[in-house]
Formats: sequence, C-alpha cells, structure tokens
Amino acid sequence: MQILMQLIVSGASVGMIYGVIAFGYQLTFATSKTLNFGQGEALMLGALVGLTTVNFLIGNAIGNFWAYVLMLPVVLAFGALQGSVVEWLGVRPAMRAKSEAGWIMATIALGIIFKNLAENIWGRDALRFPSPLPEASLSFGGIRIQPMEIVVVIGAVVLMVAVELFNRYSIYGKAVVATSNDRDAAGLMGINTNRIITFSYALSSMSAAFAGVLVAPITLTGATMGAVLGLKAFAVAIIGGLSSGLGVVIGGLILGITETLTGYYISTGYKDVPGLLLLLIVLSLKPSGLFGKAAIKKV
Amino acid sequence: MLKVDNLVAGYGKVKVLHGISIHVPKGKTVALIGSNGAGKTTTLRALSGMLKPESGSIVLSDRPIMGLTSHEITRLGLAHSPEGRRVFATLPVMDNLLLGAFPRLTGMRAKGDVDGDVNRMFELFPRLKERKAQLAGTLSGGEQQMLAMARALMLNPDVLLLDEPSMGLSPRLVEEIFHTIERLKKAEITMLLVEQFAAAALEVSDFGYVMENGHIRTSGEASALKNDPAVKAAYLGGGH
Repeated sequence: MQILMQLIVSGASVGMIYGVIAFGYQLTFATSKTLNFGQGEALMLGALVGLTTVNFLIGNAIGNFWAYVLMLPVVLAFGALQGSVVEWLGVRPAMRAKSEAGWIMATIALGIIFKNLAENIWGRDALRFPSPLPEASLSFGGIRIQPMEIVVVIGAVVLMVAVELFNRYSIYGKAVVATSNDRDAAGLMGINTNRIITFSYALSSMSAAFAGVLVAPITLTGATMGAVLGLKAFAVAIIGGLSSGLGVVIGGLILGITETLTGYYISTGYKDVPGLLLLLIVLSLKPSGLFGKAAIKKV
Repeated sequence: MLKVDNLVAGYGKVKVLHGISIHVPKGKTVALIGSNGAGKTTTLRALSGMLKPESGSIVLSDRPIMGLTSHEITRLGLAHSPEGRRVFATLPVMDNLLLGAFPRLTGMRAKGDVDGDVNRMFELFPRLKERKAQLAGTLSGGEQQMLAMARALMLNPDVLLLDEPSMGLSPRLVEEIFHTIERLKKAEITMLLVEQFAAAALEVSDFGYVMENGHIRTSGEASALKNDPAVKAAYLGGGH
C-alpha cells in the first residue's frame, strides 16, 4: 500500500508537468484551432534560459532559492517572446494563406531549429539544474516526497488558476474567450483577433517555459529534454480534451501515474505503453477527449 | 452618416454585389429589402469588414472605412448585429454585453457610461436582465436575438446594422423585435435594417432600398415604396 501511494505521488508531479504543457496546447487551439508542435522545445528553451540565468545569479553570490525566484520573470518573459515568434513566423502566414496543414510543418520546423540552436549554445549533454530547495526528501507517513515535487504541483495549479481568473474577470480575458467562441463575431466587437491569437501563443509558450523550470531541478536539463515531454503532453491534451481545462489536469495525472505504476509493477521498458494505449482507446471511443465539451448550440 | 457608393464585393471569383449605393442619414432608419440571395447580408458583411470589398467607397461619419478590418471599423462606430445572432455561447449574457462595449472599456472609443448602458439594455430587453448570469448558448432563439441587438448597441454606435432580426422567430417575438426597433428609431439610433418581412420593415423605416441580384433596383421614402405597385407585387405580397 505504501509503495502504491509512493508511486501515485511521484506520478502526480510528473503528471502535473504534462498537464501544464497540455494546457499550453489548449490555449492556442481555443483561439486559432492550431497548435504549436514545438511546445516541447519551448519547454526546453525555457529550462535552458532558466539554467543560464540561475547560474549567472548564483555566480554573483545570490543563493539558490533567490536565484530561482529572480529567474522566473526572465523565463516567463522569454517564453512569451518565443511563443510570439512562433505565431508570427509559423502560424500567421499559414492562416493567412488559409492553409489547412501549413502550420503543422511550420511549428515542427521551428521546433527543430530551436533544438539545433540549443545544442549549439548549451551543448548536447544533459546539465544539472541547481535546485532552489533542499533535495533531501520529506517523509509523510513513510511516503517520500521531494520539496521540488510539491513546488511543481503548486506552480502548475497557480498558473492554470491565474489564467482562468484572467479569462473570467478581465475584459481582455473575455475577449480571448470570445475569440475562441466565434472569431468573426469577436472582430465585430472591435477585438483584434490576430493579436489575441499572438497572445495565446505567447501564453502557451510561457506555460511551457514555466513547466521547463519547474521540472528541470528534478530531472536534468538539455537540448533533447523537450521532445518526449511535448509528445506525451500532446497525448494528455487528446485524452483530456483540447477544450477542457480540467481535462488536462486529470489527463496529465492519469498518464503520469500509469507511467510510474507500470514502471514499477511491470517494467520501465513498458512504462509509456499504457498511456499511449489509453490515447488510442480515447481516440476511438470519444474523440473529443474524456472531458471534451460538446458544443453548446441552440438555434 | 453612412454613405456607400458603387460597392462591389463577392466571395472569391463569385461577385455578389455589382456596384450598390446606399445612404443612411443620421438618426434615420433605412430598410434594405429583397428576396433571398439578393445580396442583403453580403452588403452588411462588406460594410462591417467581415468581407473585403473589391471596389467602391464606404464613408462612416466622414471617414472612409473601406478596406479596414472589422475590428477597426467597429472601433470607428459601426456596430453589426450579424445574421445568425453569433452570440458568445460559452459566456454569460452579462459578458456578451460587456464585450459589445469592448472598444469603450479598452480606451479605443469614448467610454461614456457603460454600466448605465447595461441598465438601459436591461430596460429595453427585460428578459436579458432575468438571464444575465446565464450562458448565452442556453438562451432561446428570441432571447439570443435580443442579446445580439443589445450587444451591438453597447458599442454606442454611430450606425447600427441589423441583419434579419426576425429570422426564425415566432410571430409574437417578431412583433416584439419590431417594437424594439421602433423604440430605437424614436431614440434616433441610425440604423440599416435588413429584413425578410419587407412590409413591416418599411413600416418602421424612413427610407427603403430594394435589392435584386446584387443591384439596387429601386429606392425612396419608405412610405412611397410601400405603395409602389411593382414593389408591392414582388415583395409585399403573401401577407408579409
């Protein structure tokens, strides 16, 4: 029982990371029906920019914890900028040309470029990210949790709640929701929907970059860290539903926990299988995702 | 207030409007009538920038607006209550109204009294007040129509375009909508009204334009058009 609980707790923090990245997929899908397939690379770049910033600050005699805190705004701003670039270079031209699939290739291509860029700047080796908190595990009734794992869960929840509050209570957030509902009608309200889509890409990459610096102290950082995370988060977005905020959290937890359970009880070699099987099952039985909303429509 | 000259527009290679001219004077209501497929909705879409016109000129309060995007045109004071209502289904009624005032709430248009205007809308459409916290997608067709009109009015527009406000509604609701249009007219809202109920539309309007195959076939004072034998035979028969 204790081992089971331990596995669930460990799986949950990985799952929340998947959830945050998947949340980023949702943000752009809502406004533009397009996704950034370089989302994993946005995470990787965020983590590496975060690493350089943290190392610079630590080099200037700032402690690990405060270096991490000071690094956050830098990484968030960088993520937003990077997302805007992806939208501007990869997505907008395809949408203007009314290309159905142009954005897919364009975002994948940009992802590869970002990965090559990172390999040239930071090298190909995995790098250690200084943890802001003690790495010794805390013990809760025999279940061991790293302090950073708790930060991951809290950080993920804070991010998603902040975005939800923004959408619900600010006029700009309402404009984002209006654009997701009906882009033409939003234009008639005087909303510049192109700018809303750029904003959603900025927010999406910002979420990924944030996920990057959340996960980096637990795992290692490097140019190749993004690809697998981005792909798994995509599976989570499909399992949870591309239109359901709650869905990605649940989907992320399901995937994270099945991975740790399979890794322990069956074999780490098979740990990716149950999640992907679940993906296939969801796709065939409920393509809008477990929590995908049926459109509210009344004529 | 709104002056359209020789407007040509269409979808890709298919031309729908072959050079139409319409004038909507300040404070007046103008009806645009004609059979299905005549180009009435396309005209409104071209005016509000939902569709890029090919040529011609559109002037709103002395400013040329042709070729601008729909959000730019809206910020200059042209509100469009579109065909099919197009309310924001997953947002509450109240948020739909506030989004109508988006340019006013974000410093892109004179702010005025947004809260006061919300209350005026609730007075004009009491049913929206009862349902202000309800998601727009769960409203009935008639309520959605009222919301679409109220949302457009929240811009405090110089000119309001109304596309088929009576479409798909029960006779009782149609009557209610026309009463509302009369009230707006009394308040001297400048309106361009597209309607299938031609007789009722001319009844509430000052001027009328009759469209046919993308051309303006005839136009004039609404009262004169109502009694024009040709217009009567083609559009006002059958009890409409």
